[in-house]
Amino acid sequence: MSGLQVIEASKSFGGVAALSGASLALQPGEIHGLIGPNGSGKTTLLNLLSGYYEPSAGQVKLNGEDLSQAAVQRRAVVGIARTFQKPRLLPTLTVLENAVLGGWRDTQSGFVATALALPKVRAEDAELQERASELLHGVGLGHALNRRAMLLEHADQRFLEIARALAARPNYLLLDEPAGGLTGAEIERLGAIITTLRDCGLGVLLVEHHTDFVFRLCDTVTALDLGRVIKHGKPSDVRADSNVIRVYLGA
Amino acid sequence: MNHKLTAALVGAVLIGTLPFWATDQYQLHLATLIGAYWILISGLNLVVGYSGQLSIGHVGLLAIGAYTFAIVAGKHELNPYLTLLLSGGIGGVCGLLLGLPSLRLPGFYFAMATIAFAMIVSELLLAQGGLTGGGVGLPAPTFPAPFDTPAGFYWLTALIALIVTWLSWNVARFMWGRGLIAIRDNPVAAQAVGIPLFRAKISVFVFSGVTAGIAGALFASLQGYITPDTFIFELGLFFFVCIIIGGRGSILGPFLGTVVLTALPELVAPLAKLGTLFYGLLLLAVVLLVPEGIGRLVDVGIARLRPKKIDSVLVNPDTERLATAVKRGRSQ
Repeated sequence: MSGLQVIEASKSFGGVAALSGASLALQPGEIHGLIGPNGSGKTTLLNLLSGYYEPSAGQVKLNGEDLSQAAVQRRAVVGIARTFQKPRLLPTLTVLENAVLGGWRDTQSGFVATALALPKVRAEDAELQERASELLHGVGLGHALNRRAMLLEHADQRFLEIARALAARPNYLLLDEPAGGLTGAEIERLGAIITTLRDCGLGVLLVEHHTDFVFRLCDTVTALDLGRVIKHGKPSDVRADSNVIRVYLGA
Repeated sequence: MNHKLTAALVGAVLIGTLPFWATDQYQLHLATLIGAYWILISGLNLVVGYSGQLSIGHVGLLAIGAYTFAIVAGKHELNPYLTLLLSGGIGGVCGLLLGLPSLRLPGFYFAMATIAFAMIVSELLLAQGGLTGGGVGLPAPTFPAPFDTPAGFYWLTALIALIVTWLSWNVARFMWGRGLIAIRDNPVAAQAVGIPLFRAKISVFVFSGVTAGIAGALFASLQGYITPDTFIFELGLFFFVCIIIGGRGSILGPFLGTVVLTALPELVAPLAKLGTLFYGLLLLAVVLLVPEGIGRLVDVGIARLRPKKIDSVLVNPDTERLATAVKRGRSQ
């Protein structure tokens, strides 16, 4: 089975089930929306995929390889990158340095080689800086490379975090509410970026509150409620589903 | 960039010619002491200032380096240069032994563990009288010519300090430096990009142990005689405070901190009377007024010299460039 999968996964915190037997499959080259009301288990599911939580039951698999117990760091190596609901940047570093950090996966240099500034360390660093710079230009932050990250506008912080995630050369990108706090124009920028990534063959998981944005952008949508999948399919089918309407309209 | 280069050159010339313009032997002694302290602090800076691990116990590692030198080069008359390396090696091993159990502890508890370590070292020095001379202490030998004069020994210390600074600067300016700052400021993000937190922390900690051991050997040789009283807990706190006052995530800042905190109380007599009170007041002033440290003041000064330009425009993503960059990464 190909793709990044959550299979019948459950997660409970002290007897409270955040996720009960939920499944989801993210394929390369698709934008997969994950929607649901507050507390429906969206972020829990994302944390299972990115390794911050271990499933209480069920599995996380990538192309058949079991990742359920693998450390967070392992996800970067196998090509899974994520962003956070509240951007997690390094405020005192520049925009460029923040993005370069995403290239850690491709850093071969050990501590001693780095301390001695061996030529291969310099070459590697220059290459990762170049990669990060291209990505930053791509997401529209080319003008701010040397600005401290703490001076960025909220939306630009989100785009920077996406650039950092992309610097790890992921096959799968997990975005946790990327449209949160963005204006209409900024959401358009975000949409253009996500579509571009999909067209490059990435599998993008879009965990989002903003349902209009999800239905417009996604190829597939999974709707969660109370830790269970209530509907899965094409955006038009999910939008028309009576359970989804009931959950969202509270009827 | 030119300002920085000029400043670096002026600094290098001043440091290199100090024995010629220092007005008395005491100033030279003080400069050598700053050099020895800085060798320890530039390693510790990667631990405290970059990776954010609050070690207050490096005075224990300094003592281990110093006693190694006094015992092996003094009592057993091994070559001082070899012993210097041995002090660094033993400092590194002790750093590893201290770091392995303690670096997994959260911040406050890690700080406590390093204090406990310094206390244990201090007690062992007193208890193992046969080896260490107990409370009476031990004489430490000088280095052979040309480093046997105060000026010669100053240059030896300055040279080693320069090498250690270069090593730690390299760690700070490439991927490792960014990774360490990520561990300090946002461990969750550090994990997400794949940084092995514990392995990175232990690497810099062992490095800081090596530099502390080397600093200890030079310190012992400079003082000529060491006792357990030399390695009081306040000295460990002093190293820590130099970094905090200098500013985290900088190398120049902690260097200035070390110079100012070592030299000022010695050179300005009224401050010497205040002693620890002076450190206390300075620490309070820095934490309240410039929490980013005095190194930040230098940064701000340099920034003032540059023309300002601020642009906050909404730039649309360049999707073609993005696609090219992403595809290139995926084909690697």
